[in-house]
Amino acid sequence: MTNNTAEVLIGKADAATNNIGTPCIEVKNVTVSFPSKGSVYTAVKDIDLTIGKGEIISLIGHSGCGKSTLMNTISGMVKPTQGEVIANGKVVQGPGADRGIVFQNYSLLPWMSVYQNIFQAVDSVLKDKSREEKIALVDQNLKMVNLYEHKDKLPGHLSGGMKQRVAIARAFAINPSILLLDEPFGALDALTKGSMQIELLKLWNLDNRSKTIVMVTHDIEEAIFLSHRVVVMNNGPAATIREIVDIPLDRPRNKKDIVHDPKYIEIHDKLLGLLLDKFSIDDIH
Amino acid sequence: MKMIYKMQSVFYFIGGVSLLILIWQVIAVLTKNNQLPIPGPAQTFLVLEEVMQNPMEDSPDHKGILVKLFSSLGRVFLGFSIGSIIAIPLGILMGNNKFWMNLLNPIVQILRPVSPLAWFPLGLLALESAEGASVFMVVITSLWPTLINTAFGVSTLPQDHKNVAKAFDFSTFKYITKVMLPFAFPHIITGLRLAIGVAWMVIVAGEMLSGGIGLGFFVWDDGFNAGSTEKIIIAIFIIGLVGLLLDKGFNLLQKRFSYDK
Repeated sequence: MTNNTAEVLIGKADAATNNIGTPCIEVKNVTVSFPSKGSVYTAVKDIDLTIGKGEIISLIGHSGCGKSTLMNTISGMVKPTQGEVIANGKVVQGPGADRGIVFQNYSLLPWMSVYQNIFQAVDSVLKDKSREEKIALVDQNLKMVNLYEHKDKLPGHLSGGMKQRVAIARAFAINPSILLLDEPFGALDALTKGSMQIELLKLWNLDNRSKTIVMVTHDIEEAIFLSHRVVVMNNGPAATIREIVDIPLDRPRNKKDIVHDPKYIEIHDKLLGLLLDKFSIDDIH
Repeated sequence: MKMIYKMQSVFYFIGGVSLLILIWQVIAVLTKNNQLPIPGPAQTFLVLEEVMQNPMEDSPDHKGILVKLFSSLGRVFLGFSIGSIIAIPLGILMGNNKFWMNLLNPIVQILRPVSPLAWFPLGLLALESAEGASVFMVVITSLWPTLINTAFGVSTLPQDHKNVAKAFDFSTFKYITKVMLPFAFPHIITGLRLAIGVAWMVIVAGEMLSGGIGLGFFVWDDGFNAGSTEKIIIAIFIIGLVGLLLDKGFNLLQKRFSYDK
């Protein structure tokens, strides 16, 4: 759209699917176990995943397959029982502002207005900016998610979809090099969802496509439309990666046209097969 | 709708008070022939008029009833303030840190059930002043509800909120002022509300022991020692009414700082 050279470069990277460039996130041999009623519940087991800088990756799988757990090891909210996660060259020890998070349950502070929820995050992370710049950033992101006129409301007075948009605006506003999105558009209606997906890609484009984005989703179409690669997880407990599917579709992708692309249909069927296959096995017993 | 609700609550209030006056009157009639009859509402009202004369008079030989009331309130607020200034930071420390919780909790659990009056002689010995001993008693008793509720509030801060603070690099100052305190605030107010209630109850007992100017001593000296049952009853009503107003005040504060989850 705007940057032709970048497009060509990304196109090349897409074609050479195994080449993921500079690694940005490295999940190394990660196992996560929780103590549960005297025994130990293993959510994910022996996960290895390398994500390149500027890549958009979707984690997909059935409910309870551990995709959120895997995501949380990257955000730092869950400590791996075994193995380690390296993000931006550092071992992840806990949550940090280099990784912007959209939490699954939105996690807004209920005593603060929509505006304050975003402003406090911006104020903390972008310390060097002037007050005016911070305010401008908050306003800009509120407008981006169409919530500017609701900025003085408390989160308790918003619908689920609106809260989710506040959480998205908050994560976008601090402009992190890694964005971690846990079912970020799950609570949105189809129309809003579509426009938020476009906003996500716009944000990614604006930054010369250098942002690394990892998202958890249930939605196959969404995963294909946004991602470079889709990570399909096995069912838990002790979930592993079943397969990583490349999405070699050219960018910019057009939501309307893409669905008629034979490559799209092929990938869609493949992903559906990977997920449904699992489902039918479960159905038998 | 709101109007009807208000009218209803007025109706119930009048009904309740009427019932109380009725029971009071029945008791007065029943004890008429006793050695010491309980005065009825009408008789008490006559004495109330007398008590209410020159309520602000502050001469060496006579103190007005409001002077006594404000004197008691002054002691309560002094003790309550000192107690709260100690209890809130200590509660935050305990709620935020397992070490301090484990260390201080047994002390709190041992001292909390002690009757406030047991502290009076200790205060008297330590401070060598009856006035100081009353305030000391209020300080000690108003500590526990605030301390326990603050610690509870801080310790139940959800992991979600802590994650937000971490994920967006909140400074310690911002974490305390924008996350921890706002979350704990309703609990702290609950603690303060309980504390001021206890403090107000305790000051009456304290003033009976310490003497001086105050409602407690009014009950003891003007009421019991002077053989005026009416004044005892009047004092009970005044104490009750002021206690209610204090509670209402904190209730308003609680509402002001509540939010929808």
